[in-house]
Amino acid sequence: MVDLPKKKVGIVACSGEELPEGTITRLAALKVLEQLRPADTVTICLPLFLAGGEGDRAFARFYPTIALDGCDKRCAARATEMYSSKPAASIVVTDLIAEKVLDSLGSARRLSATGLQTVEITSEQTAALVDELLGKRWSRRTGTFTETDPALRPQETVEATCACGSGIPIRKIVIDGQVVSLIALPLIFEQFLEANKTPCDDTARGLLETVKIYNSVPTEDEQAYASTLLREYAEFCAEKEPVR
Amino acid sequence: MTENNQDNLQKVVIVPCSGIGKTYGTVTREAAYNVTEDLRPEQTQLVALSLLVLGDESARASLVDSPAVTIDGCKLACATKMVQECGGNVVKDFAVLDVYRRYKQFKPQGIAELNAGGYKLAEALAEEVAAVVDGLVDEQDTLVRDLLIRSDSSSEGGSYG
Repeated sequence: MVDLPKKKVGIVACSGEELPEGTITRLAALKVLEQLRPADTVTICLPLFLAGGEGDRAFARFYPTIALDGCDKRCAARATEMYSSKPAASIVVTDLIAEKVLDSLGSARRLSATGLQTVEITSEQTAALVDELLGKRWSRRTGTFTETDPALRPQETVEATCACGSGIPIRKIVIDGQVVSLIALPLIFEQFLEANKTPCDDTARGLLETVKIYNSVPTEDEQAYASTLLREYAEFCAEKEPVR
Repeated sequence: MTENNQDNLQKVVIVPCSGIGKTYGTVTREAAYNVTEDLRPEQTQLVALSLLVLGDESARASLVDSPAVTIDGCKLACATKMVQECGGNVVKDFAVLDVYRRYKQFKPQGIAELNAGGYKLAEALAEEVAAVVDGLVDEQDTLVRDLLIRSDSSSEGGSYG
């Protein structure tokens, strides 16, 4: 069975090389990705929004995203919004610690003990936002994360994985004369095919509901989406038929 | 090189990709710090890639008239692409994997914190970057010296005229 990409929260860190706060965003993001919420988070390198492909630019539309910035230039938040989609939440390290940290953070290359403490503060704050986003925003649409409080789910430590190069699978279809890019559609088709769903009205409704999990579908266009999805799915099945 | 000449030279801009999802990304970052803080602090300048992504004016300005050396952790070459996108002059683009092929005795691991092999690979990479910087500085130095000599000659010629 092909698994659709799990609902996760995207973390985009500025990783600014010139300031200790930039290093703090990087290490805090990695702590969340590797230790605090490894099952619920994914990351992407910020420059891939420009240097990558359409799948990379779909990142913040596909995942509710938290931007971690070191300073008030807010490169991560602003660039994510410019090239992908508005982040669901944002943390600026200088704001976060404005009234808490008085000592030097160290250098960008080597953080001081205070700098490392700030990594802890930032990562805890980020993990709390991850839980909040998973609970609030996505549970109504999929019901996936409401079964258990994310903070209580056991989390195995893993090495952080990035979405670099892999991109989010996209398929373009024409609906009422307009070309529309639908996120995850290739995987949705694969999943339906492997579940032996034949092209019929029930399948059309199922396709539409699944597509809506990952994409914005205007209510008034639902019928057009459903019929187009069904036609595209029938073609997809026909293409796959000889090799099944 | 004289101090006066050094004042006239543009610093070489170093841009690592700092990729967050792979060990090689951290190697690029550490190598860039090695060059700009330890090996060639007077001749180089670190520019944050995130600022270039955002289109920050001061970051873009630092690329004007300055040669840039990029260090990328994967084949997507984000640092190189972004510097080029910003109109910068990439005189040398390093790919960590290529460098690793020359130093296979170092086995880099870790992202948040590199292992010993990772730091050694970063040092080896930094040495290669520093060698490129030296070549660029020599070229600039020669150009500046030639210009100064020509300028002096013109002045002297004028006084006899």
